[in-house]
Amino acid sequence: MAKRIVINPITRISGFMEIEAFIENNIIVDAKTEGLLFRGFEKMLVGRSPFDAVYFTERICGICSTAHGVASTMALEAAMKVIPTEQGRYLRDIIHGCEFLQNHIRHFYQYTTPDFIKLPENYPLYVTDHNDFRLPEEKNALLVKHYFESLDLSRQAHEMLAVLGGKAPHNHGVFIGGITTQASTDKIIKIKSILNSINQFIRDKMIPDAYTIGEYYQDYYHNGGGYGNLLSYGCFNNYAELGTLYVDPLAYKDGSIRPFYPSGISEEIDYSWYSDDTEPYMDKPKAYSWVKAARYYGIPFETGPLARQWLSGEYRHGISTMDRTIARVLEAKKITEVIGVLLENITPDVSVQKEYSIPEAAEGEGLIDTTRGALGHWIEIDDRVISFYQIITPSGWNLSTRSGNNLKGTAEKALIGTTIQNSDNPVELGRIIRSFDPCVSCQLMYIQMVGI
Amino acid sequence: MIEKNPGICPMLNASSGTAKNLIEKIKSEIMRNSLVKRDLIWLELTGCSGNIISLLNGSNPDFKFLITNMVNLIYNNSLMAAEGEAALDALVNKTGSDYILAVEGAISTKNNGLYNIIGRWKGEPLTALKAVQLLGDRASHVIAVGACATHGGVSAARPNPAECVSVQSILKRKVIKLPGCPCHPDWFLGTLAHILLYGEPELDDRDRHLLFYSMLIHDRCPRRSYFDNGVFATRLGEKTCMFKLGCRGPVTRIDCPVRQWNSYVNWPIRDDTPCIGCAMFGFPDSMEPFISYDTTRKR
Repeated sequence: MAKRIVINPITRISGFMEIEAFIENNIIVDAKTEGLLFRGFEKMLVGRSPFDAVYFTERICGICSTAHGVASTMALEAAMKVIPTEQGRYLRDIIHGCEFLQNHIRHFYQYTTPDFIKLPENYPLYVTDHNDFRLPEEKNALLVKHYFESLDLSRQAHEMLAVLGGKAPHNHGVFIGGITTQASTDKIIKIKSILNSINQFIRDKMIPDAYTIGEYYQDYYHNGGGYGNLLSYGCFNNYAELGTLYVDPLAYKDGSIRPFYPSGISEEIDYSWYSDDTEPYMDKPKAYSWVKAARYYGIPFETGPLARQWLSGEYRHGISTMDRTIARVLEAKKITEVIGVLLENITPDVSVQKEYSIPEAAEGEGLIDTTRGALGHWIEIDDRVISFYQIITPSGWNLSTRSGNNLKGTAEKALIGTTIQNSDNPVELGRIIRSFDPCVSCQLMYIQMVGI
Repeated sequence: MIEKNPGICPMLNASSGTAKNLIEKIKSEIMRNSLVKRDLIWLELTGCSGNIISLLNGSNPDFKFLITNMVNLIYNNSLMAAEGEAALDALVNKTGSDYILAVEGAISTKNNGLYNIIGRWKGEPLTALKAVQLLGDRASHVIAVGACATHGGVSAARPNPAECVSVQSILKRKVIKLPGCPCHPDWFLGTLAHILLYGEPELDDRDRHLLFYSMLIHDRCPRRSYFDNGVFATRLGEKTCMFKLGCRGPVTRIDCPVRQWNSYVNWPIRDDTPCIGCAMFGFPDSMEPFISYDTTRKR
């Protein structure tokens, strides 16, 4: 008989989730990832001014708010037929890149490393309930030192974001046309200076630290793999003069990489707490989560740093728990390089803003890869207000529920088959789930089925 | 403070004083071993968990100073090493002893609070609603951190699908309110420092810490002269008064113009965007539209 394990809260993520797993002979035979927060953003947005979507949707998520600002801006630009200038794109993408750095540094040190290193237990915050810590004392001590040092660097990543974005979290800078303000030379040099410190930290500490963890937790290169289907909407790509600096819209399945087609996206609610007419419905039989099931041509896909590193050819060591973490720190380095190139191409003091007017009726989509993966916003405008809004977040892909064809979600599949060393202390579950960088404040929104 | 420093501009004083002075005081108390660390519980409830991220952006004091010298941080979902029921142990075992409670996020009341479950204790779901009821009454002080906790904020935006309410709506006791989206790290750390040193700070009639919330943005706005002279921006990116773009500075009480954000490098108006009133009760619904091109023109 299978043993049932429930972990709730899964701490060190953004938001609230539960893992329910069944273990037989120390192997996970079934698993569910359950998102436990519903706010209903898509319903709130109806009737509001389209311009307000940018700052409003940022409030979906405290750690990746810029991602939503970028996606909603792109959806608005599509609806309003505004084509941002290249300078506008560079500036906006610099802000977006700063959010990547903030997010990745915090996710690696504050969210991931406590799974693998022993932090000082005289702080109540760092008391743990297991003892699977394998690093030798001096290496553990070094990573603890870097855990605290990293706080300065992630703070500085938000500082450089605020130089162009006004404040963070929930910046004001990202907007239609690019950003709101101009990049004067004092701002450019300030960002360059901070970027230099962050780049050094990532190169000299963060990347070696990730490989150190990998060295002592080799088994994590062999679990948490899942389907192995990877997808990206692309980011830092398709610039008129600079070409693609990171990754284009691509999908990987069965050993081959193909272009990604937005028309393949769908979202299912068979196992989510929504009625057929899209109202919240917690008494629904079979349903177990507020998360929906994002699919690409009906198939679950993984999205995020590993998908991007794989699709862009930067890192193809493997698809596993540890590879996901390695890919995240390598991506952080890549992003510093991308920001560096964009900064070199900024013309100082250029204003990219115009006086915009809202069309009577229009629709648009904004698809962009962000820190956690593929993010889509879809907007419809009628009578100059938002008449429909739809958001599919990265965690809608990675932390999705089962779909109608009973295919398990990406992270659910990644859990199944894992060997659990001690079923009274199943540390493997949290480690695998955190490698996806779940964001459960993000993904839990009102659903409307649309023919996207 | 002004009396102590005659001749110093009160606007400069307001930014360099406040939280920083309190922290200096704490440092000296620590040196004399007269400050006893208190226990702090930081609950993330129905919201975006952006206030804890903002807290991590604090500099002098920073997060390390907070947990090393000011408080024992007993519980925080985003940062604690423990998980599952072991993590909740710290919360449930806390109810009998002395602690300060900080809450970010609103409280979803729909379906008995089941729209926001923050953990599972002995097989039963622990909702945001139940957690506040469990911990709110016995805390020595309750601090509502950010717009969702102080008045519902974005989580309660119409039509409020999760039926979110403020912390105060659940608790029949004094709740110190630090509205803002997010809360600036100094507003929280300065308030906490005051509690540790002197007890409850001086609050206004809506329980906001007067140190930070006493003056309108408009009163200290560097673009005020443009307003007075009727020079208004018509698009973002201009350097004049953004009143006609929808700026909420004239109704928003907070010290952003002198404090600024993220190691004090910038703030929304300096970024050539209007204030959207995120530190004001009623945000977001009564502060919208955030951006409109000439509010004095009919659309």
